[in-house]
Amino acid sequence: MGLVTRKNLFAIMGLCAMVGLLLLPIVMALPSPAIGEEAPAADAEKKEGDKVEKGRDVYYKTEGIVMGAPAPKTVDGPRDYPRYNFESRVLLWFANQQHLYYGSFVLAVPIFCMIIEFMGVVTKDKALAKRYDQLAYDFIKISLTAYSLTAVLGGILIFTFLTLYPAFFGYLSGIFRPVMHIYALMFVAESGTLYIYYYGWDKMKEGFLKWIHLSMSVVLNIIGTLLMFLANSWIGFMMSPAGVDEQGRFLGNIWHVIHTALWNPLNLHRILGNMAFGGGVVAAYAAYKFLASKTDEDRAHYDWMGYIAMALGVAFLIPLPFAGYWLMREVYAYRQQMGITLMGGLLAWLFIIQATMIGILFLSTNYYLWQAMGRMRGAEKYQRYIKYLVFLLACGYMVFITPHTMVMTPAELKAMGGQQHPVLGNYGVMSAKNGGINVIITTTVLSFVWYMRGNKVSTVSWAKFGNIFMGVFFACAYINIIGLAVYGYYIPANVRVGLSVPQVATTLSCLFFMFALNGVMMKGAKQMGPIEWGKISARSQYALIMLATAFTWMMGLMGYIRSSVRLFWHVNEIMRDNSPWAYTHTVGFAANMISFNVLFFWVSILFVFWLGSLAAKKAPVEAKAGVPGAVPQPAASH
Amino acid sequence: MGNLISEALSMGWVAIAILAGLLVYFQVSIADPAAKKRAVFKTFIGIVATFLLFMAIANYKNNFYGENRMLPASLALITVTSFVMAMYFTNLGALLKIGGFMFFVAAFLSGYGNWLPQVEGGFPPKEEKITWDSMTPQQLADKGEEIIFGGIGKSSVQGEIGKGQCPLCHGFQKGFLSERAPNLYGLPERAEKERLADPRYSMNAPAKRDTVEKEACPGCGTGTTAQEYIAESHACPNCYVVAGFGLKGSNDRESQMPKIHKPPISLSLPELAAVDTWMYLREGKEPPSYEDMIKSYEKFIPESDRPKQQEDKPAGAASSLLADGSEPVDQIFAKGQCVSCHVIPGIPGAVGTIGPKLEEGTNAPLRLKDPGYKGTAKSTTEYIMESIVEPSAYVVKPFPDNTMPKVFGQKLSAGALKKIVDYLSQVKVGAPPPKIS
Repeated sequence: MGLVTRKNLFAIMGLCAMVGLLLLPIVMALPSPAIGEEAPAADAEKKEGDKVEKGRDVYYKTEGIVMGAPAPKTVDGPRDYPRYNFESRVLLWFANQQHLYYGSFVLAVPIFCMIIEFMGVVTKDKALAKRYDQLAYDFIKISLTAYSLTAVLGGILIFTFLTLYPAFFGYLSGIFRPVMHIYALMFVAESGTLYIYYYGWDKMKEGFLKWIHLSMSVVLNIIGTLLMFLANSWIGFMMSPAGVDEQGRFLGNIWHVIHTALWNPLNLHRILGNMAFGGGVVAAYAAYKFLASKTDEDRAHYDWMGYIAMALGVAFLIPLPFAGYWLMREVYAYRQQMGITLMGGLLAWLFIIQATMIGILFLSTNYYLWQAMGRMRGAEKYQRYIKYLVFLLACGYMVFITPHTMVMTPAELKAMGGQQHPVLGNYGVMSAKNGGINVIITTTVLSFVWYMRGNKVSTVSWAKFGNIFMGVFFACAYINIIGLAVYGYYIPANVRVGLSVPQVATTLSCLFFMFALNGVMMKGAKQMGPIEWGKISARSQYALIMLATAFTWMMGLMGYIRSSVRLFWHVNEIMRDNSPWAYTHTVGFAANMISFNVLFFWVSILFVFWLGSLAAKKAPVEAKAGVPGAVPQPAASH
Repeated sequence: MGNLISEALSMGWVAIAILAGLLVYFQVSIADPAAKKRAVFKTFIGIVATFLLFMAIANYKNNFYGENRMLPASLALITVTSFVMAMYFTNLGALLKIGGFMFFVAAFLSGYGNWLPQVEGGFPPKEEKITWDSMTPQQLADKGEEIIFGGIGKSSVQGEIGKGQCPLCHGFQKGFLSERAPNLYGLPERAEKERLADPRYSMNAPAKRDTVEKEACPGCGTGTTAQEYIAESHACPNCYVVAGFGLKGSNDRESQMPKIHKPPISLSLPELAAVDTWMYLREGKEPPSYEDMIKSYEKFIPESDRPKQQEDKPAGAASSLLADGSEPVDQIFAKGQCVSCHVIPGIPGAVGTIGPKLEEGTNAPLRLKDPGYKGTAKSTTEYIMESIVEPSAYVVKPFPDNTMPKVFGQKLSAGALKKIVDYLSQVKVGAPPPKIS
C-alpha cells in the first residue's frame, strides 16, 4: 500500500510538472499583453505632450502606437538576399516542407495515442484493452524516433531562413518578438512532457496511475496544439497581416498579429490534416511491417495496426474538405483577388490536381476496405455488390475531376469561342462536382458500414426494419445528391452554388445517422466467424501505402498553393519580395518539387523505420517477459 | 538518350567500377558454383540498378529547370530499379517494393502535373517611386502615353488602351474617324481658338451655360487658357459638351464621358498632367510647365476629390487589363466603359445609346436565328462572348459596324468576361434585372 501511495504521489507530481510546463509559457506570456495593449494606453497618457506616432491596423482598423520599424524595402543583393549558387526559394521550400512533414507527424501521433489509450482504458475486454495499450505504445515509439529529427529539421529551417532571407526573417522575428521565447519554451515543454509520458508508460499501466498517464497525454496534446497554433500565426500573418500599419510597423498588440483573418481556419485545417497525415504514415509503417513479417502472429498484429491507423486517418480525412471550404471562404472574405488567384486564376490547375488526389484517396480507402472484407467470414454477402460501388465511385470521380471553366489566355479563349470547352463545358458545374464528391464520400461511408457488419448478424428484434431503413436512407441520399446535381444545370450559377448545402447535409446525415444506427444494430450481434487478422492480400497493404503517399503529396501541394498565393509578397501587401525568385513556378516544376519533398520524406522515414526494426530484433526475449513490445494475440473484434 | 547514358556513366563510373570489381572478385574467390552463380548474378543486377539510378540522377539534373517536362522519367527509372532490386535482394524486399511503389505514385503525380497546361506567374513589375516634378517634359509625355495607350510608342498601334482608357471613345490620329467622342488631334490649338471662343462655353460666365452641370465645383469658374479648358473638360465633362457628342437625347447638355479622376479610372493630378503633356509634345507644341498644369487641375478639382497619389504603392497592382474579374459585374461594366455606349438594365449609369440595349437573355436567341447571322455561336452565352471579343461577327441594325472596340478579348480577363456573359445572359425584356454579383 505504501509503495502504491508513493507511486501515486510520484505520478501526481509528474502530472503537476507537466501542467507546470504547460503553464510556464502562459505565465511568461502575461507580460506580452501588457506590452501589447495596456502599456501603450498608459504611455499615451504620460506622453500626451510628446509627439506619439500612431498607426492604423491594416486589418482591424484600430489605432495603435507605432512600436516597431517598418517592413524593410529589400533590394536584390547579398545584403537582403545572400545566396548559394542555387535558387534560395527552393532550398527554403525543401527545409520548410521536411520540417512540416515531421512536425505534423509528431504532433498527430500523440493525439492518436491519447484516443487509443483511452479506448484501452474504457474497454471491458481485457485482451482488447491490452492490445489497444500496446498499439498506443507502438505509435508513440514511432513518433519518438521522428521527434529528434523534427527538432534537427527545425534548426535547419531557421538557419536556412537566417542565411538566405535575413531581412525577411529579421522583420518577422521582430514582429513576433513578444512570443518568440514562448514558442521556444513550448517546445521545451512538449519535449519534457513527451519523455515523461513515454518513459512513464510501464510504471503507470494500471488503475489510478493509468488515468494519470492518460491525463498526461491530454496535457501533451494541449501543448502540442498550442505550439502548432503559434507556428500557424506566422503563416497567417504572412498571408493576411494584422496588428501592423500599412508600412508594416508593429502597433503593440501581439494578439492582433497572431489572430489574423486566416488563423482560425488554418488551425482547424492543420489539425485535421495532421491527423489524416499521421494516420497515413502509421498505416504505411504497419504495411511495411506487414509485408516484411515472417510470422502469422506479426502479420496479424500489423494488419490490425494498419486498419486502426487507416480508420483514424480517414475519420479525419472526411471532414477535411469541409474545413478546406471554410478556409477558402475566409480567404475570399479577406481578399477576393486572393481567392480568385487560387480557384480561378494562376493556381487553378493545382486545384484540378487536388481534386484528382482527393478522388485517389477515397478510391484507395474503399479498395482497402473491400480487400479487408476478405479476412472476415460472412462478408461474402456484401462482396458481390462491390461492383456497384465501383460504378458509383467511378462516375462520381469522373464528374468531380471534370473542369467547367478553365484558366486561359484571351487568345485561347477566343480560339475556344468561350470560357467553356464545347463539350466538357456542359459538365462539371459546381453542383455537379459537389454531387460527384458527395457520392464518393457517401459510398465510402457505405463501404465502412458494410465492413463493420461484415462478419456479424444483428440480433435486435427490429433488425429487419433497421436494415430496410438503412437501405432506404442511403437510396434517398443518393437520389437527393444526384438529383440536386442535375437540377443545378437548370438554374443560374449564383443560385446553383447554394445547392452544396443540402448535398453536404445529406452526406453528413449518412455519416452520423448510419454509423450510429449501425452501431446500435450491431451491439451484441451474432458473429459469423472471427476476423482473421493477417489474412489479407498484399495488395491491400499497397492501398495503404498509396493512401499515405498520396496524402503526403497532397499536403505538399496544398502547402505550396497556400504559400504561393502571396505571389510576390513576403508578407501580403506589406513586405514585397524583391528577390530574383519573386515569380510563380509552372505547375510542372511545382509537381516535381513536391515529388522530391515527398520522396525525401519517405526515404528518410523508411530509413528510420528500418533502423527501428534493427533494434526490435532484440525484442523477442523481452517480449516473452511481457513488457511493452510483446506481440498481442489477435482478438475477434475491431 | 546517348547523352543521358554518357552523363550517367561519367557520374557513376566509380560506383559501377567498384561493383564490376566485386563481380570479378566473386567470380575468382567463391569456390561453390551455386554460391558463385548467385553472388555474380546479384552483383550484375546491382550494376544494372546502379546504372539506372545514375541515369535517373542525370535526367533529374538535366531537367530540373528544363521545359521538356521529362523530369518524372527519373522517378519511373527509380521505380524500375527498386522493383528489380527487390526481386534479388529479398531481405530488403519489402522496403524496396514499398519504396518503388512510392516512386511510382510520385512519378504518376509529377507526370500529371507536367502534362497539364503550364502556367507561370511572371515577374512582378519593378517597384519604382515616381518623382513627377523632376521629370523632363519628354519623360512626362512618355508617362502620359503609357497612361493613354498602355506603353511608350503604342500610340501608333491601333487598339492599344492604357489605364486612362481614353482610346475607347476618342480618336488621337489626324483624320481618324471618332464617332463617340471628339478626335483629340489638334486639341491644344483648338482649345484656345475655338472652344474658349464658343458662346456655349460661356467663358467667365458659367451660370449662362445650358448644361446639366455649370461648374466643376462651386465657385470654380471656367477655364481661361487652353490648358485650363483641357483640365476643366477632364474634371467636369458635363460643363461643356462639344456639339454633336452629347448623350443621346440630351441635346448636348450632358456628356457621356466619365470623370476620369474618380473611380474606376482614378487618374491622379500628376497623371493627368502627364497625359496633357503628351498631347502637346506629340504635335510639337511646347507644353505648359508641370506646376502650371497641376495648378490648372487644382482649380477644378477640390482637394477632397483628388485621388491619392500611389507613389509608395508598388506598380504590381497595375495591369494591362481593364478588369481582372475580381470586381462586381457593375464595376467591370464601368471599367470597360460599356456603360458609355449601352443601356444595361440593372447597371447604374449604363445609359449609353451608341450601341444597342443589352437584353441578351431575350435578344441573343433571336439573333442566332436571324438569317443574317454569320457567326459561330450556338448558344446565348457563346453569342454574348462572340459579340464582345469579335463585335463585327454580327452587327445589330441600325448600328454601324466598327464602332465597338475589338480589344475586349485582350483587355478583360477571362473571369471578367465570364461575369459579363453570366449577367447579360440573364437580362430579359420585361423581367427584373438580375442580381449584381
